[in-house]
Amino acid sequence: MLRLLCILSLLLLAGPVYAKVNIVATLPWIGSLAKDIGRDRVEVSVLVRPSHDPHYVEARPSMILALRKTHILLYNGLDLEAGYLQVLVESSRNPRVQPGMPGNVDCSRFIEAIGKEENVDRAMGDIHPLGNPHYHFSPDNILRVAEGIATALAGIDVQNGAYYKANLDAFRKRLKKKQKEWFKLPVRGKRFIAFHRLFEYLARDFGFEIIGYIEPRPGIPPSTAHLQRLAGLIEQENPDAILITTNYGRREARWLSQRTGVKTIVVPHEVGAAMPKGSTEDWFGFMDRVLGAIGEIK
Amino acid sequence: MKTALALLITLAILVSTAFARSQEGRDVPAAAGLKGPGKRKALNIMNPAISLVLDTFYYSTSLSADELEAREIPGYRTFHEEDHGHAHGEAEKGFNLRNAELSFLAPADPYFNIYITIPVSETGTELEEAYFVTTSLPAGLQIKGGKFRSGFGRFNAFHQHARNFVDPPLPYRAFLGDEGLIEKGIQVTYLPELPVYTLMGMEVLQGSNEVLFSDGTKDGPHAYGGFVKTSVDLTEQSTILFGVSVVYGNTKTSSIEHDSELDGNSTIYGAEFTYKWKPSRDRSLIFQGEYMLRDQTGDYTEDATVPTPPERLERSQDGLYLQALYQSGRWRAGARYGVLGILEDDFILSGTPKDLGSTPYRVTGSLEFVPTEFSLIRLQYNHDRSARGGKENNELFLQFILSIGAHGAHTF
Repeated sequence: MLRLLCILSLLLLAGPVYAKVNIVATLPWIGSLAKDIGRDRVEVSVLVRPSHDPHYVEARPSMILALRKTHILLYNGLDLEAGYLQVLVESSRNPRVQPGMPGNVDCSRFIEAIGKEENVDRAMGDIHPLGNPHYHFSPDNILRVAEGIATALAGIDVQNGAYYKANLDAFRKRLKKKQKEWFKLPVRGKRFIAFHRLFEYLARDFGFEIIGYIEPRPGIPPSTAHLQRLAGLIEQENPDAILITTNYGRREARWLSQRTGVKTIVVPHEVGAAMPKGSTEDWFGFMDRVLGAIGEIK
Repeated sequence: MKTALALLITLAILVSTAFARSQEGRDVPAAAGLKGPGKRKALNIMNPAISLVLDTFYYSTSLSADELEAREIPGYRTFHEEDHGHAHGEAEKGFNLRNAELSFLAPADPYFNIYITIPVSETGTELEEAYFVTTSLPAGLQIKGGKFRSGFGRFNAFHQHARNFVDPPLPYRAFLGDEGLIEKGIQVTYLPELPVYTLMGMEVLQGSNEVLFSDGTKDGPHAYGGFVKTSVDLTEQSTILFGVSVVYGNTKTSSIEHDSELDGNSTIYGAEFTYKWKPSRDRSLIFQGEYMLRDQTGDYTEDATVPTPPERLERSQDGLYLQALYQSGRWRAGARYGVLGILEDDFILSGTPKDLGSTPYRVTGSLEFVPTEFSLIRLQYNHDRSARGGKENNELFLQFILSIGAHGAHTF
C-alpha cells in the first residue's frame, strides 16, 4: 500500500507531455490572438461569451474545470477580471496557472495603459486605477500582446518555439498590412459621444475624439438630468455620431438621436459580438467591423 | 494507524512535488518585455486585499420583545441562551447594527492563500473565519485548514452579506444555527479532470457548532464530513449545480429546549440544487433549493438544572427550502419558502413519539435595490409559522449592505 502510494506520487513528478497546448483565454479577443499564434498546436477555450459584458461576468463551475485542465491562462488584466478570476484560479487547483507561474499571463503586462488614475475612489464609479482596460481596440497593443503570447507559448512548449515565432511573423505582416488599410478610412478628426470609456485607445490610435459619455461615471447608469445636459452638449458641439455597443445604451442613444438629429452607430465591443449565429470572426474581422462602422459616418 | 501514516507520507510527497514544480516553474524566464507591475506601488501589491462590509437593518415584528426572546421551533430548537441578554444572533425591534465585517485576503507565499474574516459588532469582535488554502498541490487536490465554512450544503458557504435574504433559510436555522456550520478543522478537496465539473471533498472538524454538535464539552475533533458537487452549463446563459453532503459528529447541546441537555450523536444529510440564468448584466434568475435530514440519538435531560435520570431521545427530522430571485436592471425580487418535518418529524422520547403540533413553515418575500456592486438596499417580509401552534410572527426588515475596499470576488 505504502509503496504503491509512493510510486504514484513519484509519477506526478514527471514533466508534462503535450499533444496540444491547452489555452484558456478569459475574453474572445485574447482567444482569437492565441489561435493565430498557436494555430493547430493549441486548443483554445474562451471563458466569456462575446455577447457578455466583460465587466460583469458570472463565475461558473465550468470555468473552474476549464482552468483545471489548462496549461496557460491568458487574461486581460488591469482589474477587468477582478470580480471573478482570483476565485477561479484558486479553485482550479491547477499549479500551472497560479499567479507568478509562467502559465499565468496577464496580457496587460505587454502594453502601455492609458487613463491611469492616481487619486481615485469609488465615488467616481467603477474606475480602473491601473488604466483603461479596453486596449484590444489598439493595433499596436495587439501586436505587443501577440508577441507576449508567442513568448509565453514558446516558454512552455519549448520544442515548438520556432513554429510560434513563424506564426507571430505572419501575424505581424498581416497586421501591418491591415493597419495601412485602416488608416485610409476617414475617421481622423471626427468627434463622438460614447456610452462607456471603451474607445479611448481607438481614438488615440486613429486620431478621433470622444467629447462626452452617456454614462455620467463608469458603471453608473445616466439620469434624465444627465441626458438633458448631454443633449445640450450635442446640440452645441454637433459631434459626428453617438457610439454605442450592442450591450448598452440603445435606449439612451435613441432618445439623444431623436432629440438632436445626430446619428447613432452600433459597434461590436468584442470579437464575435453581435455576429449572426454560427458565424465566427477573428480580431481582424472585428476591427474591420468597428472601423468600417465609424468610417462610414459622413 | 497504518493508513494514517500512509496518508501522511503521501501528503508530504504531494506537497514536496508541488514545491519542486513551482521551483522549476520559477526558473523559466518570464515572458520578455514586461511592463506595468513595476510601475505600481510595490507596497500596495504586498498589502493584502482588505474590505469592510457594513450590515445594518431596521426590524419590525408583530411579536412583543418578551415573545421574541422566548421564541422557539418546538421539537427543533430554542433561541434562548442564558449568557446573552437576548436570543443569540436575533434581531431586536428597531434599529440593528449587525456588524462591520473586515476581511483580508492575500497569498502568504506561492503555496498558500490566507483568508481572514473579522466581523466587528457592538458587543465585540470575533474571528469568524481564518484559514489557508493551498494553491500548488498537484492532481487537482486542495487543502483548506483553520476555521472555515464547511463545504456542507449550498447556502453554508455564503458570507452573511452575500446571502440572498436577511436571515438564513428555515432548515439552516433549525439544524445549524443562523451562522451555519463554521468549524475549525481541515478539508481536502479533489477536482478530477472529468468532462463535467465534479468536486469531491472530505472534512475533519472540531465539531463545535452549538446547535448540531457541542459547545466545547466534547473531545475534538469529533465531526467528519464529505460532499460531492457537480455542475454543467445547460446553455451559454444557464448553469445548474447539484450536490450531496453529509456530516457526522458527537453532540452535547442545550439548544433543544431551555435548560435541557442532550448527550449523543448526530448525522446530517443534505441535497442541493441551483439553477442560474443570466443572459446579460441586466437580467438574471436564480432558483435554489436544499433538502436536509438530521438524525440524532442520545441521552436527554429535559431540565438539566435539577438532577433527573436522562431519557433516550431519538430525533429524525428534515427540512426543505426553495427560493427564487429575479433581477431586472438594478432591481431584484425574491421569494422563499422554508418548511420543516416534511417526510420525517420524529421526536421520540423513551420510545414514545411526541406530538409537537402543526408543521413549522415560513414564507418570505423581498425586494432589493442594488445601485452598484458595492451597495444594496433590501426590504424583506417574513410570515413565520415556525412556532407551530405558537404565535405567528410577521416580520419586516429594511437592510443596508455597503462595502468598501478590495473588490470582492464572486463565487458561483
